[in-house]
Amino acid sequence: MSEKTSNGWLRRVWIVLKKELRDHSRDRRSLMLALIYPMLGPLLVAGGLVLAGKTLQGDFREHAVTVSAVGIERAPQLKTYLENNNVRFSAAPPTRQAQEDAVREGRLAVVLIVPQSADGQGAFTIELLTNTGRVDNLRVTARLSAIVRSFNDHIADQKALAAGLPAGYATTVKIERTNVARDANIAVFFYNMVPPLVIFMIFLGGVHLAIDTTVGERERGSLEPLLLAPVERWVLLLAKALAALAFTAVTTVVNLAAFRVFMGLAASSSERLVAPPGWDVFAVIFAVTVPLMAIAVALQMSVAVITRSMKEAQIYLGLLPLVPALPGMVMVFSPMNPTDVTVAVPVLGQMLLINQLVGEQSLDPQHVLIAALTTTLSAALIFLLAAKWFRREKMFVLG
Amino acid sequence: MIEIENLTKRFDQVQALSGLSLTAQDGRVTGLIGPNGAGKTTAFRIVYGLLTPDMGCARVDGVNVAQDRMQAQRQLGVLPDVRGLYPRLSAREHIRYFGQLHGAHGAALEADIDELVTRLGMSDFADRLAKGFSRGQELKVALGRALVHRPHNLILDEPTNGLDVMSSRAVRELIAEMKAEGHCILISSHIMSEVSLLCDDLVIVAEGRTVASGTPDELRAETGADDLEEVFVRILARASSKAKAAQ
Repeated sequence: MSEKTSNGWLRRVWIVLKKELRDHSRDRRSLMLALIYPMLGPLLVAGGLVLAGKTLQGDFREHAVTVSAVGIERAPQLKTYLENNNVRFSAAPPTRQAQEDAVREGRLAVVLIVPQSADGQGAFTIELLTNTGRVDNLRVTARLSAIVRSFNDHIADQKALAAGLPAGYATTVKIERTNVARDANIAVFFYNMVPPLVIFMIFLGGVHLAIDTTVGERERGSLEPLLLAPVERWVLLLAKALAALAFTAVTTVVNLAAFRVFMGLAASSSERLVAPPGWDVFAVIFAVTVPLMAIAVALQMSVAVITRSMKEAQIYLGLLPLVPALPGMVMVFSPMNPTDVTVAVPVLGQMLLINQLVGEQSLDPQHVLIAALTTTLSAALIFLLAAKWFRREKMFVLG
Repeated sequence: MIEIENLTKRFDQVQALSGLSLTAQDGRVTGLIGPNGAGKTTAFRIVYGLLTPDMGCARVDGVNVAQDRMQAQRQLGVLPDVRGLYPRLSAREHIRYFGQLHGAHGAALEADIDELVTRLGMSDFADRLAKGFSRGQELKVALGRALVHRPHNLILDEPTNGLDVMSSRAVRELIAEMKAEGHCILISSHIMSEVSLLCDDLVIVAEGRTVASGTPDELRAETGADDLEEVFVRILARASSKAKAAQ
């Protein structure tokens, strides 16, 4: 006869937890979710950052821009001025319709049309065919407009001087712009995408394990033999939840590390992009998300124990990550400031704190405490509900 | 000893048990037989603590299952009809897991596992993952899982279901050994030749209640039939007539 021990509930939790971890570390789907999927979001964001850095960043004036022009030879002074400001000219399509189509379809950024009435001496109006639906067109149009405005000021000054008047006589107010924003603006915009994507992965990391160890066990018929062991039902569910939590934590670590590494590499591709927050900030983000992991797992377990099949559970739990991630996406474009009330809302609280961390703002310890308490308490309540449902006869009787 | 007293259980519109009673004695094999839907599996599930009866009670070695489920489960080894293995655990890991859940550990548990691996003829596949096991191999693992804590009482639901001749014979030999060791064994089976070979006592159930019980010889004498299958058919026919007359 084997040696017997007091075999307290903690030891039983550990036995079941150990089995689930061993079992699922041999499962390709669980490993994919924990180790591969969390790298996809960071790769996409970093790829976007590299592209955006190339497209939108840098000193635009240093780069030549090519503009299709019609009749530019009728305005030689303007042509020279534009050429001196790094504007090159290419032939435009022959007809008006072809020109509009080319701009609309993005084949040409802009078409500059000098009217036949222009003689290069008196005042005349130029037309810019542009497409405001495309960012690259907008930038070329804006640059061209700025150079033309500058040309006007230049001509006005020349005329004023020729008439014995001071330069700037014809332009009462001139605008000189000093951009104090860091060139990293666009990088920060991308870094703001981190919180919703991290939260999305937190709600996805342990989902396969949560389904497989509950409704999956019932479907395979292995739950009934398990329930024949002298173990409290809540102990079984707690051990399974802890296993899902462990996989969620691994997923989150991989996800955060991937964000830091890939975004760091992306930022280093351009001198003008600011580096992402440091590893210390990412470590704090991990700590802040622990209650979030708990509530994600509690929700997964509660949904998994009430569904009748793995397919049904997969449908519901596949949608679950979108619910908390959507407000995060909204906050990318319309940031919300944390208050004692907003951080007390489970999940939202962590989202606001992560937003602050990514924005390299300091956290209010009271906010951290409130968010951790309310989310952890909610997770505990949801888990208790799941444990109650797990005791139902319907949960473990096949057929 | 397993005692079932006046068990009643209803699932929504289905009356699964209507006052089922039986006693399975130590050192004997008791067969619970009946047509599909007679309530055998429901009765077993109440005995091993998965379901709660609406009325009546089940006792394992005197322990009321509804009052102390875990204590009753410690004295019970169960082979459910659905073997339910974990495909990514080896045979040995299955047995170790359930041994640990019953409180065993250390060198003593490993020795018990080795003994079961030898006794059940699992040496060839003990360290292979369960995915792809044959039905015979699955059954052996499930038996190992049920026996690792050396329970005094055994419930075996369709123990030879789907097995080939050699595996069925091995299971029958194991049951005979356990009986000789003084264990209380309660089995359910649809195979009358197996029931005839194994069982010392029979309990025939229909529509959730006991319609006949006794040794195979007593039931043969009661019905006037020599063949156990014929005994079964006549008892069911008699029970059905009585039920119709009562309506």
